[in-house]
Amino acid sequence: MIVALAPALPLHEAGKYVAGAYVVLFVIVLIYVAIMAVRLSRIERELGELLELAGGDRQPPHAGGEPDDTRGTIAGRVGSTGIDSPESAARTESTLA
Amino acid sequence: MYGRGLRTLSIATVAVMGIALALVFFYAPLEAEEGFLQKIFYLHVPLAIVTLCGFVLGALLAIQHLRTRDPRWDMRAYVAIHMSLIFAVATLITGSIWARGSWGHWWVWSEPTLVSFLIVFLLYATYQPLRFAIEDPERQARYASVFAIVAGAFVPLNFLAVRLSTEYLHPRVLGSSSNLPAKMQLTFLVSLLAIALLYGTLCKYELTAKHTRAQLRALRRRLAGDGAGSRTPQGRSAEPRLTLSPAAGPYASPATGASAPRGAGA
Repeated sequence: MIVALAPALPLHEAGKYVAGAYVVLFVIVLIYVAIMAVRLSRIERELGELLELAGGDRQPPHAGGEPDDTRGTIAGRVGSTGIDSPESAARTESTLA
Repeated sequence: MYGRGLRTLSIATVAVMGIALALVFFYAPLEAEEGFLQKIFYLHVPLAIVTLCGFVLGALLAIQHLRTRDPRWDMRAYVAIHMSLIFAVATLITGSIWARGSWGHWWVWSEPTLVSFLIVFLLYATYQPLRFAIEDPERQARYASVFAIVAGAFVPLNFLAVRLSTEYLHPRVLGSSSNLPAKMQLTFLVSLLAIALLYGTLCKYELTAKHTRAQLRALRRRLAGDGAGSRTPQGRSAEPRLTLSPAAGPYASPATGASAPRGAGA
């Protein structure tokens, strides 16, 4: 609505400078997002390694033939760290304080 | 913990930035002298204000760190200054573009506002090397906090000095001598809010990422046994080391498990 009612932008000589300034901010934010994406992938990889670590030395299944539930093993181990949930993360944080 | 409310904040930031852009280009009237070029003002000035406020915020967080010796405050101060430095780069570049369009020069050394901002930027540019130069995490955090406080005190003093100088060319925006029409003032305030929200959101992202990494390190140590810290050696780093281990102090070294929890129980 606003766009339709607004007059045409005077993109003459000054237009390139204005566009340049706004593009600079956009590019900086874009670079930051890219860096965050790299960090996220690193965290994901580390988490994968931890899952392997947690799953690698787990106990064999009981004779009763329970399903091989890796999540249970991990949850048990992760639970012992006290950082498996936001609540326990907050507990860990409060331990520091 | 740090990720709480991140989604809402992100959505609010995108929405306000969209509104700000619409106001800048389709609502605010063209300025009589500079015309369309003046639209840079709605980006450059909020960036500068948020940057300087971010540096002062870093100082306040550093004071809190020295008071409590809690490394989380050091982490927050680090992120605030780190993000302000990024915003400062954007401020300098957009300012240069505006100067080129308006004055015909990329940089004007006789302009106190420009030069004073550059001085502040260069001062804070030494923050990261200072941190990197100190290996002991506790000393690093302490010295960095002292630096952040001293530099943070310099920011308003510098601002006042520039204000008091007589040879400035920058138009005053806020205050009794403001000459902005209502439409421009509203656009400016919305732009300022948008940039402030962007700053807050990026800080929160950074804090969440760092906290998550600290949690992962703690988890790795737990899963691989107490001596497993040596498997993930941490070299020298400018980043604060937040060790989330209930068994060790907040400044615990992952390799040795040694801690220096001086005053940590604040």
